[in-house]
Amino acid sequence: MTAATDDAAGTGLSTPRHSAADARSDSAAFAEEFRRAHRRGLRRAAWLRALLNVTGILLFLAVWEAVPRLGTWVNPVLLPPPSVVFDTFVPMLLSGEIPANILASLRRAALGFGIATATGVTAGLLTARIGLLHHVSEPILHGFRSVPSIALVPLSVLWFGIGEGSKVALVAWGSFFPIWITTFIGVRDVPAAYLRSAACLGAGRLATLLLVVLPAALPMILAGLRQGIAVSLILLVAAELSGAREGVAYMMSTGHQMFRVDIMLIGLVLLGTFGFIADRLFVALIRRLFPWYTTAS
Amino acid sequence: MSGPLIDFDRVSQIYAARDGSPVWALSDVSLRVEAGEFVCLIGPSGCGKSTLIHLLAGFLKPTSGAVRFRGRPLDGPGPDRGVVFQEYALFAWMTARQNVEFGLRMQRVSAPVRRRRALEALDRVGLRHAADRYPHELSGGMRQRVAVARALVVEPEVVLMDEPFAAVDAMTRTTLQEDLLRLWRETGVSVLFVTHNIDEAVFLAQRVVVMGAGPGVIREDLTVDLPYPRDRGSAEFGREYARIAAALARGSRGADQSDGERRAA
Ligand SMILES: Nc1ncnc2c1ncn2[C@@H]1O[C@H](COP(=O)(O)OP(=O)(O)OP(=O)(O)O)[C@@H](O)[C@H]1O
Ligand SMILES: [Mg+2]
Repeated sequence: MTAATDDAAGTGLSTPRHSAADARSDSAAFAEEFRRAHRRGLRRAAWLRALLNVTGILLFLAVWEAVPRLGTWVNPVLLPPPSVVFDTFVPMLLSGEIPANILASLRRAALGFGIATATGVTAGLLTARIGLLHHVSEPILHGFRSVPSIALVPLSVLWFGIGEGSKVALVAWGSFFPIWITTFIGVRDVPAAYLRSAACLGAGRLATLLLVVLPAALPMILAGLRQGIAVSLILLVAAELSGAREGVAYMMSTGHQMFRVDIMLIGLVLLGTFGFIADRLFVALIRRLFPWYTTAS
Repeated sequence: MSGPLIDFDRVSQIYAARDGSPVWALSDVSLRVEAGEFVCLIGPSGCGKSTLIHLLAGFLKPTSGAVRFRGRPLDGPGPDRGVVFQEYALFAWMTARQNVEFGLRMQRVSAPVRRRRALEALDRVGLRHAADRYPHELSGGMRQRVAVARALVVEPEVVLMDEPFAAVDAMTRTTLQEDLLRLWRETGVSVLFVTHNIDEAVFLAQRVVVMGAGPGVIREDLTVDLPYPRDRGSAEFGREYARIAAALARGSRGADQSDGERRAA
């Protein structure tokens, strides 16, 4: 019995002349009031949280603004304050230079990450479900996995040139491994009770894979994808720094050549924002798509 | 069809322990169950009750002997044998209704029919109102009800239940038992039910098969000849309870006695 109905019963006792219908409408009114108060509380907590978040950002900016002005121990050329960075940022934004670079980087990251997702999830599924494939591929996959992906930057430039190919390939390569390994673990560790239930209910191989194994492994797969997003960004930067004609990290390296720390800082902020927004979007999407996921585990 | 529905014919099951030595989970076990029977398996931990269930479900192949179902040797799991597990085996990513619909979906039943039959099945376990909830939104007892509905909706000939109510509280357990008996009598399905609990066995079963450990064997096969519904407070209930308790005690003592003494007992 819920708190609301308990309370309604209590109200009924204190006023014994209540009819059953009255008691029911009382309890409905109480439930409505309870629900409204609960929602109000949640909203207030969310606002407070947002307010504190913004305060944190403002505090950080204030300290950063103050430090280069507070004496001689910080060179303002090496650490320009946010106001200076912002003054550089606005014209670059309006001229279309920054949007073009953002778009170039996003395209590479998305393409590479998409390829890694398709191949990584497939490889994870197959190696976890087919023992033969697992044992044959194990040493090679784990061997490659142990090579830091950044070490492949020069090779990738030789193989794929300095065009888009090498950048997309690097991003795909790097994020493939976390996606593959977590998918593998998730699929391998699907509880036996799920597989047995499916078999007892007449599910064949394909139905078991699509309707039972994949959803059961989904929490792990999603964790792998999230890790893959983070790795994508790292490799994106490494690839663009190794030679590119556009992109956020390319913009930073030109800033470096021109000794424009403000431009480099703009790049850093953009990259941080990318990562943050991608991660948040991802989490929100999961909540949307899989209502059982966040609360089930 | 003539002959028993379920026929364990001199079945032995040997597992390999971690160091490779053999573990005799079942030794030369023979057991027959007729269609429509309600049989409880009871015995100390490790006597091979789950192994017996897994053999019949088709998760395992016997090391020696044969397990026959409707006269034919088994070949893997199938929808003619429903299973209700002790741990919650409901698919966490499906609502109660989708869980119940799963078996029908595998039979390619059309969506509207599937939906209707699933709701009817949930209705029979008193959970129609919870059809759209996910397993994590259900209590332990409710989950086991959904699991029972999911197993029964495909109309198996036998339901195998391995301590299905062990994880729920005593009060819920009693209502689950009553519901199970009602479903059994309505559908005519056979039930093979594993329990540790003598009270549960006497309340539910027509036959109680008492097993013993080390290696797993069947010690006694007792008929509980009481009409349903059974009254836990009655004198007959107490007598049956004592009879099974005594058989269990004999069994655990019997493990280190000679065969002759056991037969005499
Ligand atoms: N996969 C396995 N590998 C090795 N030994 C096993 C395995 N499964 C079961 N056994 C052993 O076989 C014996 C019978 O196990 P089983 O699970 O059938 O017993 P049980 O009667 O169901 O016990 P419980 O009442 O504790 O569930 C036990 O001694 C157990 O340790
Ligand atoms: Mg067991």
